[in-house]
Amino acid sequence: MPDKRTTLANSSLLVLLLLAVITSLSMGTVQVPPPDVLQALMGNADPMTAFVVNELRLSRVVAGLLSGAALAMAGCLMQTLARNRLATPGIIGIDNAATAFAVASVVGVGLSLAPSAMALAGAACATAIAFGLAGANGTRGYRFIVAGIGIGAIAGAVTQVMLSRVAIDAANAAYPWTVGSLNARSGNSVLVLAIGLAAGYAILMLISRALNTLQFSDAVAIALGTRLKATRILGLALSVLLTGLAVSVCGPVGLIALLAPELARTICRPGKVPLTASALAGATFMVAADLLGRTLFSPLEIPVGIITAIVGSPYLLWILLKPSRRSLT
Amino acid sequence: MNALSPTSAVASRALSLPLIAAGLLLFLIIIASLLYGAGPISASEAFMVLAGSGSEEARFVVSELRLPRTIIGLVTGLALGLAGALLQSMTRNPLAEPGLLGVSAGSGFAVALAILFGASTATLTSFVAQLGALAGCALVIAATRVQGLGNDPVRLILAGATLTGLLLALTSMLMLMDQRAADEIRFWITGSIAGKPLSMLQATLPSILAALILIVIVARPLAAMALGEKAAVGLGHHPGRIRFLIVLTVALLVGSATALAGPLIFVGLVVPFIARAFAGPDIRKTLWLCVPVGPAVVLAADVVSRLIAAPAELPLGVVTALIGAPVLLAIVRAGRMPSL
Repeated sequence: MPDKRTTLANSSLLVLLLLAVITSLSMGTVQVPPPDVLQALMGNADPMTAFVVNELRLSRVVAGLLSGAALAMAGCLMQTLARNRLATPGIIGIDNAATAFAVASVVGVGLSLAPSAMALAGAACATAIAFGLAGANGTRGYRFIVAGIGIGAIAGAVTQVMLSRVAIDAANAAYPWTVGSLNARSGNSVLVLAIGLAAGYAILMLISRALNTLQFSDAVAIALGTRLKATRILGLALSVLLTGLAVSVCGPVGLIALLAPELARTICRPGKVPLTASALAGATFMVAADLLGRTLFSPLEIPVGIITAIVGSPYLLWILLKPSRRSLT
Repeated sequence: MNALSPTSAVASRALSLPLIAAGLLLFLIIIASLLYGAGPISASEAFMVLAGSGSEEARFVVSELRLPRTIIGLVTGLALGLAGALLQSMTRNPLAEPGLLGVSAGSGFAVALAILFGASTATLTSFVAQLGALAGCALVIAATRVQGLGNDPVRLILAGATLTGLLLALTSMLMLMDQRAADEIRFWITGSIAGKPLSMLQATLPSILAALILIVIVARPLAAMALGEKAAVGLGHHPGRIRFLIVLTVALLVGSATALAGPLIFVGLVVPFIARAFAGPDIRKTLWLCVPVGPAVVLAADVVSRLIAAPAELPLGVVTALIGAPVLLAIVRAGRMPSL
């Protein structure tokens, strides 16, 4: 049963998310007052407003919401598995690898469903390689992270190679993946992401008890009846799935996977893995960051990945540079 | 007294063989850099030019395009290799590389700012790049002084990666602001030594010479500091002063290299890694060996970048990343960090 504090945290995050969504739907080149937004969503507004809200903005906001939630959940999961809050998909290079594969599919094949599948394949490859290089320590230990940095660098370079080798049109089509933007989403990818997110969330809720025990030492977790290996593999597979699908929609938007679980852990009851709160916080961050990017220098649009990098990096730096006795790696 | 002179005859003999081998290799790579290109000029035509004959077109390509490119590659490799060796020795961290730590990114961001504000003269750009590198260096040093971080190579690298990400995002913002500047920045930021004017080289040459002189001054105290801070003080050195001089040297070197070639990641990691493998733990020997190895690595990567995608060319920065990332993995894979 969810306790009081978690319920409170989740519901306040939900309110924040709704606020962000409505603001995002109402602001833009055409301002729609929030009451009209609600009317349009209910289906009884004038055609013009309904078109702007439902046709132009809603799909973008939904894409942002889903991908933010998926990235944050993947981050929270991986941090739990690695017992290291720096071990997020972005830092381990999974984002970049998924991007490289997705770009390969846009540049090469061009099927509308292909980017999702390719991004998944890329995410899986990067994780497997990072694991292989990390050696006996698995996800725990600094080798995993440095291996990830290296893999991320290689994948980034490969992406550049592909973009520099193809015709300018194909390169332009693939470019958003390289910085992280909600502009290039395709309906199919969003649909696949929604299905994957729902399935992933359901499975995670089923194994949440086992995940909670992962925070203790291995011996304690085993004593509590957790099947350690199975839980780890399932968790890792789910975080790869969520990351890959999210990247196929929004590209490698960095740091949401780090910041959202961080916030969730602060406000939820300690001792549990705050998956729901992370997902809500991630969705809120993504929608808000996209809103900022769209409106800050309007009509100029700043890709959401740039916004999260500028807002999130100082915080990550602060975590890293803060003198603390607790070992991070 | 020459600070760089090897302390004993045994040491000099141990170093001379790799030094000669690396010199020979560098010579071969320079020739290759002049002979091979992405364009239609074949290697034999280029060879005719080197021999003193050859067609008008081939002569133009070799002497006007490939020769400046080779010279700029030489200087860039020299600067980045030495800067990496110095930074790694000072922070005692084999992963401390100007590109990874955000020094190059600081320099790159400064240049992007300068371009946005309309700077185009070579002198200004190289000066701005050095200022940016200095700021990046200062951040790194501040970070290593933070309690505990100095002993944790990975955390330092992560901080550097984050700083790099932040600066790249800011640079992208600048590029969105101004289309004209964006084209210029994009051309420069991918990292390439092709088509760079020799005037840029003239503008950076004084700083590089100054940096080389500084290296001669700091090499001996730096070797003493490898024994520990107290030992260095006991030998009559001032670690604070030395550290300041090294930061200045690294900033001069990285700033010049970035002004010449754009931000090149991983060169400062690969070069000292190779040099250390042959020269051992003595920083003075490592620095000597970096002199031929640095240019050899950059030029080899450049030749690869011309041939791998011919008739198009890859950005040099992509090739160095592809070469350097596995080296990073290898260093980490080696288990215990090589102690510096």
